[in-house]
Amino acid sequence: MTSQTSPLARLNGSKVKMKVYVVDNGGQWTHREWRVLKYLGVDTEIIPNTTPWKQIDSEALVLSGGAPRIGTESTKLGATAEYLDNLNIPILAICVAHQYLAMNFNGEVGQAETPEYGKVELKVDCNDELFQGLPKKFYVWESHNDEVKKVTKDFTVLAHSENCKIQAIKYMKKPFYGVQFHPEVEHTQYGYEIFKNFLALCRR
Amino acid sequence: MLSYLMPLEPEKFAEKKIQEIQTLIKGKAIIACSGGVDSTTTAVLTSKAIGDRLTTVFVDTGYLRKKEPENVKEILKGLQLNLRFVDAKEEFYEALKGVVDPEKKRMIIGEKFIRVFERIAKKEKTEYLVQGTIAPDWIESGGALRDTIKSHHNVGGLPKEMKLKIIEPLRDLYKDEVRKLAQYLKIPVSEKQPYPGPGLAIRIIGEATPEAADIVREACAIVEEEIDKAVIKNKMEKPWQYFAVLLPVKTVGVQGDVRAYGNTIAIRAVHSIDGMTAEYSKIPNEVLEKISVKITNTLKDKINRVVYDITNKPPGTIEWE
Repeated sequence: MTSQTSPLARLNGSKVKMKVYVVDNGGQWTHREWRVLKYLGVDTEIIPNTTPWKQIDSEALVLSGGAPRIGTESTKLGATAEYLDNLNIPILAICVAHQYLAMNFNGEVGQAETPEYGKVELKVDCNDELFQGLPKKFYVWESHNDEVKKVTKDFTVLAHSENCKIQAIKYMKKPFYGVQFHPEVEHTQYGYEIFKNFLALCRR
Repeated sequence: MLSYLMPLEPEKFAEKKIQEIQTLIKGKAIIACSGGVDSTTTAVLTSKAIGDRLTTVFVDTGYLRKKEPENVKEILKGLQLNLRFVDAKEEFYEALKGVVDPEKKRMIIGEKFIRVFERIAKKEKTEYLVQGTIAPDWIESGGALRDTIKSHHNVGGLPKEMKLKIIEPLRDLYKDEVRKLAQYLKIPVSEKQPYPGPGLAIRIIGEATPEAADIVREACAIVEEEIDKAVIKNKMEKPWQYFAVLLPVKTVGVQGDVRAYGNTIAIRAVHSIDGMTAEYSKIPNEVLEKISVKITNTLKDKINRVVYDITNKPPGTIEWE
């Protein structure tokens, strides 16, 4: 697997593999994120969420989902706040990390009235690079008890589903994205494309 | 698969792992092998690395499927593996007496396996146990921040005190990647459906008695046989995994003008790539009906009701326990 054959690297005229860490929040699918990045030709590694932000030397971060509940157990998400406050690299925050992203910048989070497990239809609301080239509606896989209730004006809401109004968000001040669904699992349609779109932001 | 993806390259992976195994294991080793895709692939890879210094141990737990002991022995011998067969049926039945909780079952089975392997390792004068652990096994077993979904016998079910050093060459792979590697290594079981180490014991909800094992063994055989037939006739897509579960739920029925009061069998069949997400298979009704009729006619007063599980993962898991 050489860097020259990586389409993303080629796309950007670089011979060095892009480096992206997956920050482990204890999710069932953390290792899937690692696999998807590997399949996209990225140099990747899973790191604990207690890794100090100054040690982050990657070009982007993927923050995994996990079992911690956002209301009562957010301390289990380790240094997540440090990454969001101090880093200025592209970050894709998934599930509980997506909730943390909203909360960290003054949004509201809480228990979902109707939690979602398994197959859900995602409706894309906004033309954004993250969903570039994708249909307006497709099926994604979910697994969450909590959700983002409200975001500040610093965010744009990019997608929703029938039972969850905020399925994807973009932070306008830094290149941070949050998704409530799981683009890393096989059953989510266009999962690889979403990751590819995210990685394209890293080389701009 | 999308054209820009760079999937696992089996030849490179195998080459790298063979070297790693050679560095790790200087003397002898044993491998725990069920005859399934993961452990058989690991056995072949390890034997390529250390040759006949490897002993392949296959344990009959009493919870294997119909004709499995015979089939597996034949396959492993065909692969020129140095096979050691252990009949531990009574040992496992005894240990699981009165046990109902699924996590307890898994822990007991995990420990029993290790005690068997320790005995063999002592005889073989080695301390290395090679296992066919793959990613979902350690992910679902949990630990630290990760919640325990189920303790896989080969990871979460390992006893705290054990005398063996464990080597797991495939721990970062998923089933689809193992299959690819197995195809490259020309292993005949590369397309075999997944089968959990604890076997039928976790397809019996409640106590896994030898009698219950016989019932679910027969029901599993019928599900496999009928679905295999339907797949060959192009009536349906081959599911990723398909089996029967024995439920401790008794319902009223009528069999031959006589009141019946037997247990229930649930049919489970799912489509998946890696076992980490799954959707239930859309089996044609006529196939489900055939399975249902055959199960109740074969198992008579034991079973008088059959249901089909239509849960995806999440929220369900593939096996019921």
